[in-house]
Amino acid sequence: MGAFDILRISGSSMGMHQTWLDALANNIANVNTVVPTSETAFQTQTPIVRSVPGGGVEVEGMALSDPEGRMVSDPGNPMADADGYVRAPEDDLATQMTQLVMAQRGFQASVQVTKDAQDIYRSALEIGRR
Amino acid sequence: MSVSGIESIGFQPYVPPTMSPASVTATGGTTSTSAAGSSFGDLLTDGIDRLEAVQDKSDKLAVQAATGDLDDIHDYTVAATEASVTAQLTVAVRNRALEAFNEIMRMPIG
Repeated sequence: MGAFDILRISGSSMGMHQTWLDALANNIANVNTVVPTSETAFQTQTPIVRSVPGGGVEVEGMALSDPEGRMVSDPGNPMADADGYVRAPEDDLATQMTQLVMAQRGFQASVQVTKDAQDIYRSALEIGRR
Repeated sequence: MSVSGIESIGFQPYVPPTMSPASVTATGGTTSTSAAGSSFGDLLTDGIDRLEAVQDKSDKLAVQAATGDLDDIHDYTVAATEASVTAQLTVAVRNRALEAFNEIMRMPIG
């Protein structure tokens, strides 16, 4: 399907960004998930991507943040240990929101490429039309 | 009075780099396969077969969208675009062929 390579490539990009957005939605949903210090913290997911030789991009795997997380002092929390600490995820909300903007813009750029591809195909069909 | 050339003070005229034709390789994507040997009828049939395939794919994804089984929205929209452009292309080829046929039919004989 050589004629629709633009669509295939931008489609793969949209797929990758969709996976990234899904991961970020999960990370942001769990940004306040704290656990007792005896357990491992929520691990935020970040997709590892690579370029496809024939054009396009794909998700190679998911990188998980440190299970140690961050020790937060919250003595009022029922899950707090004797010293008043709980375990929070390593990545904070600011990091995730920044990535959310990047993923969203990347997705939108791919959508724009798809729209432009449609215009390109349309103008190719105009050749010779009377 | 003689003026010596600037080469004597170390000036080297610019020689543009040359590339042997063998070292230039196609980057892919632009390689065209010649359609020699296949008739126009085969070409059209192939086109219609491909149109059927992409429309089939688009239809399947439309059903998935309706039943809630669709994983990614863009999968459907890209497939629908592909189907629509392929349909337009097939129709354009058919129209052009018909035009050519009519042109030939209008040729005066004798």
